[in-house]
Amino acid sequence: MSEQPASDPPPPLLYSMREEWKDVQPLDQSDLTNPLVPIFYPPEYKDAMDYFRGIVAKGEKSQRVLELTEHIIRMNPAHYTVWQYRYDTLLELEAPLDKELALMDELALTNMKFYQVWHHRKLLLLKYAQPAAELSFISKVLAVDSKNYHTWAYRQWLLAHFDQEDLWSLELPSVELLLQEDVRNNSAWHHRFFVVFDSGVREGDEDREQVLRREINFTKQKIAIAPNNLSAWNYLRGILDRVEVKYATLKDFVVPYTTPREERPVVEEEVLDLDNPRPSSSASLPCALAIEFLADICLEEGDTTKAAELFTSLAEEHDTMRKRYWDYRVKECLGTQSTRT
Amino acid sequence: MATPTPKAVLERAHVACSIRFLRQGLPRSAIDNDQARPVLFAAIPDICSHLISLVIAFYCLATLDLLGGVSDAISENEQADWRTWLWEQQKTGPWGTGFRGSPYTNQPSPSKYDPPFLIMTYAAILSLAILRDPLDKLDRAGILKYLHLSQREDGSFKLYPSSEEYDLRMTYCAFAICAMLDDWSAIDLDKAAYEGGYGQEPHNEAHGGLSPDLRHRHPRSSFPVIIPRIVPRPSKRRERRQVPTSVCSRPSSERRRCVGYCITRGAGLQDVRIKNQMHVIASGAILGHGDLVNTSANADFLLKCQFKFGGIRKDPESSPDPYHTYLGLASLTILSREEMNLSAFETLDASLNTTFTTRKWLRDHLWSNTSS
Repeated sequence: MSEQPASDPPPPLLYSMREEWKDVQPLDQSDLTNPLVPIFYPPEYKDAMDYFRGIVAKGEKSQRVLELTEHIIRMNPAHYTVWQYRYDTLLELEAPLDKELALMDELALTNMKFYQVWHHRKLLLLKYAQPAAELSFISKVLAVDSKNYHTWAYRQWLLAHFDQEDLWSLELPSVELLLQEDVRNNSAWHHRFFVVFDSGVREGDEDREQVLRREINFTKQKIAIAPNNLSAWNYLRGILDRVEVKYATLKDFVVPYTTPREERPVVEEEVLDLDNPRPSSSASLPCALAIEFLADICLEEGDTTKAAELFTSLAEEHDTMRKRYWDYRVKECLGTQSTRT
Repeated sequence: MATPTPKAVLERAHVACSIRFLRQGLPRSAIDNDQARPVLFAAIPDICSHLISLVIAFYCLATLDLLGGVSDAISENEQADWRTWLWEQQKTGPWGTGFRGSPYTNQPSPSKYDPPFLIMTYAAILSLAILRDPLDKLDRAGILKYLHLSQREDGSFKLYPSSEEYDLRMTYCAFAICAMLDDWSAIDLDKAAYEGGYGQEPHNEAHGGLSPDLRHRHPRSSFPVIIPRIVPRPSKRRERRQVPTSVCSRPSSERRRCVGYCITRGAGLQDVRIKNQMHVIASGAILGHGDLVNTSANADFLLKCQFKFGGIRKDPESSPDPYHTYLGLASLTILSREEMNLSAFETLDASLNTTFTTRKWLRDHLWSNTSS
């Protein structure tokens, strides 16, 4: 084998050609002669994996294993076993975990959709219990993809696992910022629910009545800005269900969203009703989500006729895409009615 | 839209495409444009992305199964080779027995670093059934031990027994394997079921995707979440033979809430992707309300994603791959049998994610073994 000319950027040298790996016996994948879905690995990957198998077979955990596993992970970030072996090697060598986390910062940004990147990070945090810096890292990732599922799951795990008041205290402001950027960010809405209702009671939030009022008002304001926002209506339903408050308590708020704009009489005081903010002037009305909500209020109140009427308007006019579902709700209303009478 | 889209399902092209994947593997590494760096087989999404032959094989075989069965398309000799390969992946060790995704870590002796995976075990049993294997080599006792060792304290399931990674994919696979074996003795159903309430308590670690509260979950969890919720609890004495296909005795309001979530509120939150569509449709079908979905809009979109030389793409701009080919066709067979003239296609049992014919094969070959 000749040396690469110095002028060309050398390709990554195969492990099989490196003096310092001579002591490792590479292990072939040795598949059957007629395998199902044969995968034609590029030579660089195959070579690295042959040496990885060799390393695992002899149980070596050393600095060069960290180099090898990083190399493979960069080619295939989904390789569970390589990640696992890397983690065990880090622990065995008592390698500096802050350095590993710094590497993970880079790998998470380029591979944020891989489960393994996040799982490895979680394992590191369990050993290297310094969660404070993690939130700013998470913000960096969310700046690239504000709805990345793994990132949000990791954030919730981090908060719940370390359960430190100074971590929790930053969560609502951070969610509000994200919702200001994109009021339809369902991940941010979900996280708000997690922080407020699903993970214990925070300092300052002991008065649950007050928290409920705050959350309902917050959501109403967001709905007023953009009424056709599924996430906000889901949140509203979610908190009412959780605290077992009837939907009907919000009837005054909901009704103005269920009628076309011109039908509403213009009343000056409307603007001042902070409890029941009106739809913004640019909102497209009526809003199908509000009609559904009002229909559910009617069902709560036992008015199946009115509910059926509202569902029919969704089926025929305001949400024809889901006609079959609304027809089913109408049928359900009428069924209840006939068994009653 | 001016883009011409084929009006029919290109059945023969999909068969040819699936066979090509099974025989020759996937096209050589693609370039992931987003990240401007080569990623091996970037076209393979999600759970296929581990370069795992077995999962890719499962999607291809399942596609053939939907389109009329493997035996018409593949010679008996070749099928026998594939069955041999699949059995080669069944491994026994201190963790019990399960299937690997391929020999990719290939250790000389059982090793913590060469474990069978729960997801692969699910895919392998289904693949063998699609290839009409008698399944007599399946190590039932070993698999039950494996399932037992894979369950965590909080009821969730690990990727493999020595892993600490757990999420709903594994819960689904564990339940599906129990249903296929008709044996629930290895897992703690009380912990794993919805009523056990994992993710509900404050500071519960399992919160990363296991909460049963559908309304606030990311919609993509809706499909696997529903499975543990609706699989009938086998009572200790009676109803041992009940198949988890239909909706069981959940309160109807609860069921309606799920249906409502899947079809309206959940669906509206999703990106327009085939995977999401399939999850919504499967969830609706499992809950007994697949009929509530807008079938023609669904079919229109799927046909736009169809590639003229076979295969279905995750969206009209991407390349076709086995995963989306299967999901797309599966969704069409659930929803659009009549309007798309798909009567030659097999019908899908959405909860087990296989055709009724293959489900029957599983029942005939795995259930009969238990009666002894």
